[in-house]
Amino acid sequence: MIAVWLSELVVFALFVAGILAERPAALAATGGALIAAAALLRFVPSLRTALAAGFARHRAAALAGGAVLALALPLALRASPYWTFVATLALLYVTIGQGLNLQIGTAGVINLAGAAFAGLGGYSVGLLTLSAGWPAWLALLVAPWIAVSVGAVLFVPILKTRGHYLALVTIAFGFIFNILMNNLEFTGGPQGLKNIPTLRLVGWAFTSKPALAGVELPAHANFYYAALLVAGLTTWALRRLHDSWLGLALNTLRDDEIAARCCGVSLTRGKLLAFSIGNLCIGLGGALYAVMVGFVSPPDFDFGYSLVMLSVVIIGGVDSIPGVVLGACLLLPLPERFRFLHEYRLLLYGAVIVVMLLYRPRGLWPAAVRRYR
Amino acid sequence: MPPLELLLQQALNGVMLGVMYALIAVGFTLFFGVLDVIHFSHGDIFMLGAFAGLSTLLGLAAVGLRAPVAALPLAFVASILVTGLVGVLAERVCVKPLARSSPLMTLLATLSLGLVIRESVLIFYPRGADPKPFPQLLPQGGFEVGGVAIRYENLAILGIGLTAMVTVDLIIRRTRMGAAIRAVAQDPEAAQMMGVNLDRTVDATFFLGSGLAAVAGILSGLYYSEIHFIMGITGGVIGFSAAAIGGLGNVYGAIVGGLLFGVLQTTSAALIPRGSEFRDVVAFAVVMLFLIVRPRGILGEQSVERV
Repeated sequence: MIAVWLSELVVFALFVAGILAERPAALAATGGALIAAAALLRFVPSLRTALAAGFARHRAAALAGGAVLALALPLALRASPYWTFVATLALLYVTIGQGLNLQIGTAGVINLAGAAFAGLGGYSVGLLTLSAGWPAWLALLVAPWIAVSVGAVLFVPILKTRGHYLALVTIAFGFIFNILMNNLEFTGGPQGLKNIPTLRLVGWAFTSKPALAGVELPAHANFYYAALLVAGLTTWALRRLHDSWLGLALNTLRDDEIAARCCGVSLTRGKLLAFSIGNLCIGLGGALYAVMVGFVSPPDFDFGYSLVMLSVVIIGGVDSIPGVVLGACLLLPLPERFRFLHEYRLLLYGAVIVVMLLYRPRGLWPAAVRRYR
Repeated sequence: MPPLELLLQQALNGVMLGVMYALIAVGFTLFFGVLDVIHFSHGDIFMLGAFAGLSTLLGLAAVGLRAPVAALPLAFVASILVTGLVGVLAERVCVKPLARSSPLMTLLATLSLGLVIRESVLIFYPRGADPKPFPQLLPQGGFEVGGVAIRYENLAILGIGLTAMVTVDLIIRRTRMGAAIRAVAQDPEAAQMMGVNLDRTVDATFFLGSGLAAVAGILSGLYYSEIHFIMGITGGVIGFSAAAIGGLGNVYGAIVGGLLFGVLQTTSAALIPRGSEFRDVVAFAVVMLFLIVRPRGILGEQSVERV
């Protein structure tokens, strides 16, 4: 158990050091430690199996340790509001990624309009608070459902089309959403919606700086904890759903529609349910983003972001719940960390994804084979 | 209701846009035919074709060759060569190695490759972030038939596009390589047993498709007299839409789909208020509705699924 906590602590320390190291010496030391740790795991199989066995035996302890470290992260990053923001963003992508993974990974409903559904959540929050005058928390609760109901226009194509044709339908939906947001008056056109009021819960405004254990944290830490809660809840809920009979039914639908239908799995029900629950999570992520940043505009939700969401799911591991968490926590901070590369950043991002797909096609944390006891 | 002349005019413009879309769509459909994948970086290859053409034209102008009759064909040849080679490279690096894995993998891989191509142009082309003016080399002016203005420039674009399509059609139907492409599209294993070199055929297909995209890129530069590094995103999505409307894997379907998409865009721009802003909304919405009615396109194979 101690070994499990210790290894988690090492990963956490490496992660934080990797983010915060600025001077060449510190950077080199962190890089060296990372490579050494990776090499140790790669070339000492006995250590690897021992650690894996330890984590499998002390699951609850490992999860508790991970939760404590996640709660402590803003403390480690307190000097940098920017990195607290990036960490929050990564957590939002965990929520979004879990939703998308339910659609793409579990049910096989290809959705290339993730950004559009996140945008529906974000814009709904903006319109509900700015035009209708709702408080942010209420808008935050309602906005994901708007994403779900607008997603209903895709119900028929989802049932009718397959594979590449379905991919095209969702791409077209994403483009339509973006063009409409750019040209409609009530959504603010290219400028988007500004000054979305921040969240205020029982008198606590999310713009004031919280203090944890006597240490003052940047204001973004409020949203970090909110996003952590939401990401934890969605991950837990979707894990339960994935392990339930419904998750199994969705898997069979993905793998062989005809065989699944022969066994009495309803195609209509399964696909629409997975699509809607997925959109609920994606919309929730987008809504939280809008409240956190305080404004939404069309470029925040363009096709490129759908691509990022898709890469979180696929690089993490298709249909793998922990894979999505890992994917989001790596893919979101990584380009930010390499900001010093300036314009080469996106180029390298694309290249890294291609290389990963070629050499680890099943993702960083491949989905485990289902076991029933 | 706008007058008939306006509609005719828009339909004519639509046909011209449609020829460009069709050129891109044929690439999508050819790649799908031989490897059963959607090569999503094709849109960015189209953009690359436009930039390669522009560079050639600028280079030729620098050595004093400005006459369109000589410069344009050279630009086309150079651009087709460059783009075709990049297309083959893209296929070798990230399409064929993943062709046997799930469609999701090729989807993400080619989308990311498109990002790499786009960013490379942005970074390595001088002042790549700005829209680049494209030299106007086609004859200006025009004439009028029954209230419909016909410009020489448009006729030239139409002519070049049609020539490219007829050439590809001839290559596919009349040459040995074309026969190999058709054979691989039908059944790769059987084709290999008949002595078709699969790798070479796939390479040739990607060269052909990417070369067509280069032609489309230069034509688009000539038409809009401006090119931009992000033009590949919309170009790719429209080309893919056109190929899908026509039915993936069918070359004639892709041409019909391209023309349909172009006419749809221009007529909706004329028919609905603020049409120029919302024309793509209408076009994409029609594509979605269309795929509901015919989930495999106009000329797509209506295969019955078997267990």
